[in-house]
Amino acid sequence: MSVEATAIDPVTLEVIRNGLPAITNEMSYDLQRTSYNMMIYEVRDYSCTLLDPQGRLLAQNIGGVSHFIADMGVIVQDGMEKHRAEGFAPGDVVMMNHPAVAGQHLNNVVIYTPFFIDGKLTAFPAVRAHWVDIGGLSTGFGPGTESFDPWCAGLQVDQLKIYEAGEPDEKLVKMIRDNIRFPENAMGDLRSQIAACRLAERRLEDMYTRYGAEMIARATQIIFDQTERRCRAAVETIPDGVYEAENLIDDYRADAPPVYIHVKVTVEGSDMTIDFTGTADQQVGNMNARTMAAAYIAYKALTAPSAAANEGSFAGLKAIIPEGSIMMATYPASTGNWSSVIAGSVDTVFRSLAEAIPDRIPAGHLGYMGIGRSFWGFDLRRNKSVILQSIDGGGWGGRPVGDGPSASVTVCQGDVRNAPIEAIELKTPVVVEERALRRDSGGPGKFRGGLGLSLSIRSLVDGRWGIPRDRRSNCPPWGLFGGEPGRRGANWVKVPEGEWEKTNLVRFQTVAGTTVRGETPGGGGWGDPFDRDPARVLDDVLSGYVSIGAALEDYGVVLGSDGNVVDVPATADTRTKRRLARTEPVDVDR
Amino acid sequence: MTFNLAVDIGGTFTDLFAFDSERAVTYEAKCLSTPHDFSVGVMDCVNKSGVDLSAVNAFVHGSTVAINTAIERTGALTALVVTKGTRDVYQIGRGNRPDAYNIFFERPLPLAPPRLTFEVNQRTSATGNVLRSFDEKQARSVAQTIVSSGAEAIAVCFLHSYADPTDEIRMGELLREANPDVYITLSHDITRQYGEYERMSTTVLNAFIGPRTSLYIEDLENLFREHGFSGDTYIMQSNGGLMSAETAKRSPVAMMESGPVGGVMASAYVASDLGFANSIAFDMGGTTAKASLVQGREPSIADGYYIGGYSTGHPAMLPVVDIVEIGTGGGSIAWVDEVGALDVGPRSAGADPGPICYGRGGTQATVTDADVILGRIGWSSFLGGEMDLDVDAARSVVEGLGKTFNLDANGAALAIIQIAVAKMSLAVRGISVERGFDPRDFAMVATGGAGPVHASLIARELSIPKVVIPVLPAHFSARGMLLCDLRHDYVQTFYGLLKQVDLAALRNVIDNLIDEGQRVLVRELSVDAETSFQCFLDLRYEGQEFTLSVPVYRHELNATDGLVASVRSRFDEIHDRNYGHAAPEEAIEVVNVRVSVRGARERMPLTVLIDAGGPPTPVSYRKVCLEDSTSVVECPVYHRAALAPGQTVIGPAVIEEYASTTVLFPSDEAMVAETGELVVSIGGTI
Repeated sequence: MSVEATAIDPVTLEVIRNGLPAITNEMSYDLQRTSYNMMIYEVRDYSCTLLDPQGRLLAQNIGGVSHFIADMGVIVQDGMEKHRAEGFAPGDVVMMNHPAVAGQHLNNVVIYTPFFIDGKLTAFPAVRAHWVDIGGLSTGFGPGTESFDPWCAGLQVDQLKIYEAGEPDEKLVKMIRDNIRFPENAMGDLRSQIAACRLAERRLEDMYTRYGAEMIARATQIIFDQTERRCRAAVETIPDGVYEAENLIDDYRADAPPVYIHVKVTVEGSDMTIDFTGTADQQVGNMNARTMAAAYIAYKALTAPSAAANEGSFAGLKAIIPEGSIMMATYPASTGNWSSVIAGSVDTVFRSLAEAIPDRIPAGHLGYMGIGRSFWGFDLRRNKSVILQSIDGGGWGGRPVGDGPSASVTVCQGDVRNAPIEAIELKTPVVVEERALRRDSGGPGKFRGGLGLSLSIRSLVDGRWGIPRDRRSNCPPWGLFGGEPGRRGANWVKVPEGEWEKTNLVRFQTVAGTTVRGETPGGGGWGDPFDRDPARVLDDVLSGYVSIGAALEDYGVVLGSDGNVVDVPATADTRTKRRLARTEPVDVDR
Repeated sequence: MTFNLAVDIGGTFTDLFAFDSERAVTYEAKCLSTPHDFSVGVMDCVNKSGVDLSAVNAFVHGSTVAINTAIERTGALTALVVTKGTRDVYQIGRGNRPDAYNIFFERPLPLAPPRLTFEVNQRTSATGNVLRSFDEKQARSVAQTIVSSGAEAIAVCFLHSYADPTDEIRMGELLREANPDVYITLSHDITRQYGEYERMSTTVLNAFIGPRTSLYIEDLENLFREHGFSGDTYIMQSNGGLMSAETAKRSPVAMMESGPVGGVMASAYVASDLGFANSIAFDMGGTTAKASLVQGREPSIADGYYIGGYSTGHPAMLPVVDIVEIGTGGGSIAWVDEVGALDVGPRSAGADPGPICYGRGGTQATVTDADVILGRIGWSSFLGGEMDLDVDAARSVVEGLGKTFNLDANGAALAIIQIAVAKMSLAVRGISVERGFDPRDFAMVATGGAGPVHASLIARELSIPKVVIPVLPAHFSARGMLLCDLRHDYVQTFYGLLKQVDLAALRNVIDNLIDEGQRVLVRELSVDAETSFQCFLDLRYEGQEFTLSVPVYRHELNATDGLVASVRSRFDEIHDRNYGHAAPEEAIEVVNVRVSVRGARERMPLTVLIDAGGPPTPVSYRKVCLEDSTSVVECPVYHRAALAPGQTVIGPAVIEEYASTTVLFPSDEAMVAETGELVVSIGGTI
């Protein structure tokens, strides 16, 4: 499209600027309310987008998980290459999850439809959504550790038309239905995805009829340019320089070495480069992805966190993720655990900038996808197979202006909601024994890290669990400026009549009466804990966030005998002595 | 024959409306609200209106006191009692971060502090079975600890109490024994619906605002009695119905949205009395515009909402009239952002300093300034001529704004209005088109000071054929409150597959809810009145989470068969209308039973005015820019008060009244109804 970004009247521009995201938000509302699995209705693990035939992002819904940001362009470009423009007809519905291009786990199924105006292919509404199962080992949050190649992970669908000119391909539908678990759920979600695309086609029809394709093309070019300028203006406020940081994230196997993340951020005027060169190569296992998400999420958070995303949102960014590395794996690498390293990688970008913009960077957060747990078993009450899923958050880092939030989902997840205890117990044969904050898990600091969370679930029937490992055992969420790291997470199992035992397993069978507990990490602390106002430490003790022992040990705060007041002289004395004893900085390994 | 009085306390103004049906006299008054002591503003209105309180039979009241107490966090020191293992559920919430890319996001700030949150050793299952019996001894010690903590209010929320409230009831007794004066709220008294965080939050909200709100209601009742009032007091609820003052003192959380809801209810009744089956209530004030969809006289109801916004607000799991609000009002500021795009709102110049044309120090162009420049609002006739508007000052700022875009003052003013209208149209679309309703089947009732000015433009944008401008469009909420019935909504989680539903158990649940509602109504109504009920099932396809409420009727419940089939096809139909697809072959789950009971109140009839006959006469002409900046038309100006039933005004024209102006565009036709409303047929629509 070679349209000059010439002047356009400001009203039409605003109408189109607001109108395109309104379409994607409407798609999102309907998809969420009619979906058949909690990954969509609670986790919002989906994105609704509009793209032009070049794959440029016209609009994306607000809300939902962050790591789908602006990732649909490659899908449309690949589809245009395989089908050619002339290969699309009105009424077509294309299905795509092939990891060679899509680069995520196979559960993330993209459905898109061509939109024509005056017989010309003009745009694609596209909806990516997490299906509860796509065959293989994909049940729940995606394939477990056993899936070492894409074929274990489920069905790979490569730009196939599930509808041609309005007619369903019954053979293809049946092939999919017959090879997945919970087919009613998946077919329901497929129906919702198609309905969202059809809705977008109707809305686009109204808009294109009213303003014309040429006017809309001009407006979108201006909107892209303005978005880019806005982001560049934010980058200009960061001092020029080259900033680096690193991180270690556990592999899924307890015996495997951790995955190394390295980032180099270069700021020069309004240009920013985020370069992940040096980060681990693609893995034998399945912790691989093809995604720009780590760089994009970090850039968005630093530039225009609340603005709607479009193609201009990342035009001012140069993201380097070398081919063959863990986040740009080459097919047939398995991308089953694709999202595992993204949250920690985003945090590494922030860490690199802590010295440059100290007032805008929090300490490290839980940095992995939280305790997403799934349990599937046979519900005797309803005489059918059921699946339980919930995603629970962890601690966020202390901030230059206050304590970090507790028990919140990662930087990769936005409006992702845990499953209510009462909903879990209504739908599945389990008892949730506890959903609680972990005392003393927040990294000590002048501004304390948020607390991690503990979730215990007892199953009433035999069944199978899928849980993520704590990925921060080698590198707990870091503190900044003298703050200490947050406490690591862990997983525990207790069989009937047994004791709590720590586990490194991520998939396992249990008998009825077994309790499984997941603990997420706390966030890192910000600033020296001895600088924390003793009154806040007392309040933390009374609130159950910090134990009396940790108040003394970590913060040098002595409480009166009843534990309700600060012993001010004793606290001052303790802090003075302890500061003097710090001959050299000790890296406290919690 | 009765004398009904309504007073609505809003953020800026307190409105009074009263109707004495014996003498067929109405009273109205508007005074400034007095936040330090709201009763001062109420009595100001009573005195200004000349109503004799000793003659009044019923007093209906709406107030911001409940919502202000929650938002300003000025409620009681509140303790929370929960099931063992769930101490932190209220703080953890749903763990979500709606503000996805903001790494400095905030979570809701608890209204009950963690140090006053206590666990009791008890546990019920989802089906109401006892998993761990209530530990009486430990519960007593918790009650003692709370009493000595100085807590003024206590919220109790046990897991699955919707299925069996026994333990909550016992805990309430123990707490009352320990301290008979403390304000106690038990979660199952507020709602019997699953979702522990949302139910807990609603219970805490009620306890937190309880002491202050109930004291406020009591003080006001006493003050009225001192002035001779001996009737009944009713409070406007968020669900569009009234409740007695006694009920309100126990469930103040139900009155949070009383003001806006009064306006929607008034719109619903006006449209319905004029013969429109469906309407859109549209209210545009100084800082925001609100829209709500009404079918018949039934407003759309949402199952819950967030006090203080979705990102950081507190969920209230209670039925509320579904109102969409956007930051576009008469005072919304037009501005050019850092990359040169023109935008309007959400920042507002408010009432102080207000728009530039008010001449009170405002320096930024607003929607009202644009209206004045275009001549749509008259500079010399604003507020009945009480306040001259400075049109030149407004024009010079808007002219400056327009230079960036090569627009003259009129062009820039038109652009401001068009952007504001586009945004408001999106909001109206959000409650109609996006919910599967066609706006062409609706009449729009436009209220608020700025509503009638912009209504025709929004109607054109959305092809809405009729706009209704009610009598006194800027004082509408109090009047709406006089039109409402008593109403109580009950919900009970009742979970299972529709095809396997135990009809006897279902009937039992419904009968119990109806009985409970009717018992409350009997207490609340001093005279014998007609009571009625409606019943709904919240249904979904098995595997879905969100439900749709589907009506069921008495005869269906009593019949031995046919219920499942008729309810199922009704659900498929509603699903298809709302979302464009349905799955008639799939299993359906029942999730909740809802019952709404109503107690009818005598309704104020609309006053029938006398037909004057003959064409209306304009009071003057002025230049108004309507469609493009180069064409300014000499436009007739009418006084609303001088228009009589049956008369028709054809656009272009403006119709002025004290606190608002109706703008008619070319080929719009406004007919005066026999009860005084302007019914505008929008030009160019079907």
